[in-house]
This record gives sequence, structure tokens and C-alpha cells, in this order.
Amino acid sequence: MSSVSSQTPRFVRIGALLGVVFLALPIVGLLKRVAWSTLWGQVTDVSTRDALRISLYASVCATVLALVLGLPLAWCLARMQFAGRRFVRALVLLPMVLPPVVGGVALLGAYGKTNGLLGGVLDRLFGIQLTYSLWGVIIAEAFVALPFLVLALEGGLRSIDTKYEEAAAVMGAKDLTRFMRVTLPLLKPSLVAGVMLAWARALGEFGATITFAGNIQGRTQTAPLAVYTMLESNPEGAYALSFVLVAICVGVLVGLRDRWIGGASE
Amino acid sequence: MISLHGTVAVGEFSRQFSLDVGNEIVGVFGANGTGKTSLLRTIAGLCPLGEGELIANGVMVDAPAKHLFVQPELRNIGMVFQDHSLFPFMTALDNAAFPLTMRGVKRNAARKLASEMLDQFGVANVAQQLASTLSGGQSQRVAIVRALVGSPQAVLLDEPLSAIDDESRESVRNQIREHLDRLAVSAIVVSHDRADLDHLCSRIENYTR
Repeated sequence: MSSVSSQTPRFVRIGALLGVVFLALPIVGLLKRVAWSTLWGQVTDVSTRDALRISLYASVCATVLALVLGLPLAWCLARMQFAGRRFVRALVLLPMVLPPVVGGVALLGAYGKTNGLLGGVLDRLFGIQLTYSLWGVIIAEAFVALPFLVLALEGGLRSIDTKYEEAAAVMGAKDLTRFMRVTLPLLKPSLVAGVMLAWARALGEFGATITFAGNIQGRTQTAPLAVYTMLESNPEGAYALSFVLVAICVGVLVGLRDRWIGGASE
Repeated sequence: MISLHGTVAVGEFSRQFSLDVGNEIVGVFGANGTGKTSLLRTIAGLCPLGEGELIANGVMVDAPAKHLFVQPELRNIGMVFQDHSLFPFMTALDNAAFPLTMRGVKRNAARKLASEMLDQFGVANVAQQLASTLSGGQSQRVAIVRALVGSPQAVLLDEPLSAIDDESRESVRNQIREHLDRLAVSAIVVSHDRADLDHLCSRIENYTR
């Protein structure tokens, strides 16, 4: 007989079941709408292929950019005491809570060709235009993905006992060596989780991308934008592409399940 | 040669120390809270001296009044930590070889040397095991090997025998003593066990609260 404390009340079970149904129903609905007989043709269509190619390429680049900027940021937030730390953390979280379209507008204000704080300078001095370009897609995606990475890494860095880094220092390991040989292996679970979250967020980005980089097929049209565009003109294609995106995400989750997502507790 | 004259201050704790250690093994004995571990951490460079001066291996390494502080990685000290602090994601062998690779020894040569020493300390059989899977006694022996293998110029041992069972205590003590005698460096051993210190050390400093 199980103890009272280990019994889950019925209303909790019902709530949990409703939660599962709520999450599963849209996926089932999506799968039901996929035209399986024409799926391959839809997926290999030029515009779909372009959208997938841009999405995968931009989301990986955005994740790398987020990692390059996010790791030092997470380090400082986790390990340093400095004036304005709370402000910096709020700033990091902002893209997470900001409506993505507003994020896109803000990016235009910073990197827009004509009125952007930096965009105008980049255009005048180097002829670099970020808006309506693949770089624009990458920047928009990195902007919204960065908080997920920083949060995961900051949490990971906080949970690492510094005694290992201290031991490495006493044994002669300098800063970079300590980081590469000791901190990074200890940080690996958080790093992988953060990278996957950031990548998934970048892959699904819509609002900031369409506002900042536009929706130009073959140039800035990512898979989510293509799905949105096709929903009216070619619903079969929209569902086919949606299915591919779901399959990619499920594939990643399944691939990581044992190592990083709940595997340890099962 | 280790010479510390000054205040060891870690968090709320603060205590005046005056300690000179030549090429000998000095025991530090005392109750909890007397600052034994803080003393070792300060010598290793993990905590800065509150005030005073610290000379390690003939070099001034910490002197707050002179704004001098040499980072731990430059002090060439071997240390056994109270909780061993083995890297959990590395094998026992890689843990033991770590200080050698930090000193520029090639990986294979470092592993060979570390392997030999693990054998001397009776833990060659767990060389390929992840450190996180070792028992307390095995972990402590690997930690001792890791502190000694790189032939450091000074050795600090914080409760180095606390997890060693009574049966093999004598043998591990002898191994430590043998290696420290061979290195002929300044060594400080912190322990709650007077018998361990009597066996290992040429003299004992007794600290009370």
C-alpha cells in the first residue's frame, strides 16, 4: 500500500491529463491534415526547400552567435558582482517577454539601414545592409534566442562547485585551460540544453524575423514564414512543411532524451 | 620553504598565524574552527592573506601591503583537498595525470607516470574508472597521487587519511612519507588524527581556538 504522501490526488491527475491532451491535440490535428500522398512533392518544392535551407542555416548561425555572446554574459551574471547586474539580467530577459514583432521593430531601430543607430554607420562605412538579408534573419533569431541560452548557462554555472576549478588552478591550470578542461565538461548538460532551447527558439522565430528581415522567398523566408505564407495559397504545402518542422524538433528531442531531458530520473 | 606571518581571513574567520616550514613535514593539529583548512587554502593561493606576508618556495607570493598576489597556478604547490575534489567526469588515471599535463608533460608520458604511482598507492585497478564512481578511500588515494605526481615544490595535505580504512592506513602513511622524503620539499599535513601526524611529521603545530 502506498503512503498518503506518495498518492497523487485525482484532481491533479485529471489536470495533468487535460494538459497532455491540450498539448497533443494540435499535433494530432496537424498530422491529420497532412496530405501524405503528396508530402514528398510538397517538401521538395523549390520554395519549401529554400525555406528549410534558410531556416536550418540561419538557426544554427543564430545559435552560434547567441553562444558567443551568451556564454560570457552568463559567466558574468553567475560569477561576478558588479554594479548594474540586475539591470543587465533584466535586459537579457527582455527579448523573452517582448512581443517578437516589437523585437523586430527594436532591431530596425538599432540596425536598420536608414534610421538604425548602427545600421546606418554599417551601410555608410562598409556597405553592409542587415535588414532584408540573411544576416538580418540570423540577427533577429539570435536576439530572441539569446535569453534561453543565457538562462540555461547561468543556472549551470551557478550549480558548478568552484572547488573543481580551484583544484585545477592549484595544479597549474591557467584561466583558459581551466575553462576548457574543467568548467566546460561540468557545464556540458546545461550547455547542450541551452543550445537546444536557443536553436529551437531560433528555428521557430517569426515576428522579429518578418519585421526586421522581411519575407523574401529564397533570401529571408524561413520555414515558419513560408508556412504562414502558404497557408492561404497552398495549405497542403503549409501542412507538409509544418510536419517537417515538427519531425525535426521531435527528432532532436528524441535524440537528446536519455542524456539531457529527464533521462536521469527515469 | 614556506613562511607565513600574518592574518588568514576567510569570510567571518580571521586568525593570526606565524609558521615557517623548511624542507620538512610539519603537522597542523587542532579542533574544528581553528583555521587549519583556511591556512592551507591561503598558502595555495585560493584565499588572499588578510595582512602580512607569505613566502612559498623562496618567492614572496602574497603581501597585501605591497599589493602582491601570485595566482595559485603559478605557485607550484601540490594539494590534497579535504573532500578530494577529483574531477568527476575524468577517470582516476586522468585525474592523477592532470598536474603533469599542466606542466607540459605529454599525455602518454603523464599517464604512464600517473599509472605507476596509482599502482604504488594500490589503486591501479580503478585507473580507468570515472572518479565519480570511486569509493571514499580510493578517491582519497587518487587525490594523494594527484598532489604528489607532479613533483611540486611544496605539498599541502588536508586530512589526507580521513577516508583510508585502518587496515591500509599504515601502508598509505608510509607511501606518503616515502614520497615526501624523496621530494624533499616543504609539506604541511592537517589532521584530526594525532597518530597520523606523529607518524608522518617531523614536528607538529598545535592550534587551539
